[in-house]
Amino acid sequence: MMIVKDWCSYCGCCAGVCVRNCIEVKETALVFDENCNECGICVDACPLAALELEE
Amino acid sequence: MIKTDVLVIGAGPAGSTAARFAAKGGAKVILMDKKSEIGSPKRCAEGVSKKTFDILELEADPHWITREIEGVRLVAPDGTDVWLTNDVIELPEAGYILERKVFDKHLAMEAGREGAEIRIKTQAKGLKKEADGSYTVTCECMGEVYDINAKILIGADGPESHVAKWAGLKAITKPKHMESGIQFEMCNAKMERSDVLEFYFGSVAPGGYFWLFPKGDDIVNAGLAIIPEMAEKSAYEYLVDAVNNCYATKDAQPVEINVGGDPVGGLVKEMYNDNIMLCGDAASQVNPLTGGGITSGITGGKYAGQVAAEAIKVGDCSKKFLKKYDKLVREDMGHDMDKYSKACDYLWSLDDDELNNIAHAFQDIEFTTIGTTELVKALIKAQPKAALKLGKLFL
Repeated sequence: MMIVKDWCSYCGCCAGVCVRNCIEVKETALVFDENCNECGICVDACPLAALELEE
Repeated sequence: MIKTDVLVIGAGPAGSTAARFAAKGGAKVILMDKKSEIGSPKRCAEGVSKKTFDILELEADPHWITREIEGVRLVAPDGTDVWLTNDVIELPEAGYILERKVFDKHLAMEAGREGAEIRIKTQAKGLKKEADGSYTVTCECMGEVYDINAKILIGADGPESHVAKWAGLKAITKPKHMESGIQFEMCNAKMERSDVLEFYFGSVAPGGYFWLFPKGDDIVNAGLAIIPEMAEKSAYEYLVDAVNNCYATKDAQPVEINVGGDPVGGLVKEMYNDNIMLCGDAASQVNPLTGGGITSGITGGKYAGQVAAEAIKVGDCSKKFLKKYDKLVREDMGHDMDKYSKACDYLWSLDDDELNNIAHAFQDIEFTTIGTTELVKALIKAQPKAALKLGKLFL
């Protein structure tokens, strides 16, 4: 499960590096679809450290 | 189903320019953007070269220009600085700092005035390739879901680049090529000169640099970009440290925080295919060294719009016809991008000591003209090992 912290600014950096194209960036929401395999690339890319992979 | 000749997804500078020139060329155009307000929030340090307005065929307007730039100051980790300002040397291209929120909106308005239909707060949810080659894009606006069918789809949807991925274009930015950028817009800044861009290199921002772009006497965009795999903490933490440790910004107050990814891998492999083109950040039309993408995105957008209009006019939206777009873009900026890409591979490989040494040596060199070539020549003189790494790239 990917946790989106509430300080996310919806900049889309995560979606840009997502090879499975499974992050939808809305104006004030981030939606991961079922294709996410929790690879964690987006977690590292986030400028605000706003993504966390729940163990 | 709504039908159009050209559908542009994303109303940043590249998308709005594409829409404007496609409409100007006689095509029926729809320009859509998911945001409530075009141009906001900004994801950018707002610097452009003056030639941008020649490309746009627009006069620079004081409504969206905050500052004219007269030079740059390069700062090494130990504080040694090199000033390159046009009162002492001839700068190859002058520039401006924009107010993007006003500028982006203005470009969208120009597209609207040329006849493009603009749909805001409208998000693309997916796309389907039809038997006749056209694309049908599923859109959502305020809870309403509907389809738009376009003979030509232009993906200008930024670094997220969903359009490219949905269409299966080879256009994915690798994590090592996605700069993680963050910036404060601040007041109370104490810049030595408020018409000079400042760049701070080294461990302050691994894989990038810390910048100060002045927008007023005491107003500055203070930001940085890092390559996450070279970094030890988040971009935000690097920025807080950089701002606190910099004389100009340590007592400055933020009024805005901006974040975003910046694709610096050079032009994507596939910028087009049958019935589709990519422009702007979606096609990585970004200077890999500076991370600047407004001028190059606008250039790409203009070509995409013009080629789209021609394709509609002659009734040929095939890959073969749209290749013209790829050719125009690569001829215009491909060579520079390859060059800058290699230069930044080198620059990011230097540690703080090496950067300090280079800065010390630069202080003794009298520049009369300045361009990338002159800079690199000086660099090689200062750091002979650079010659080995850089080869014959610039000489």
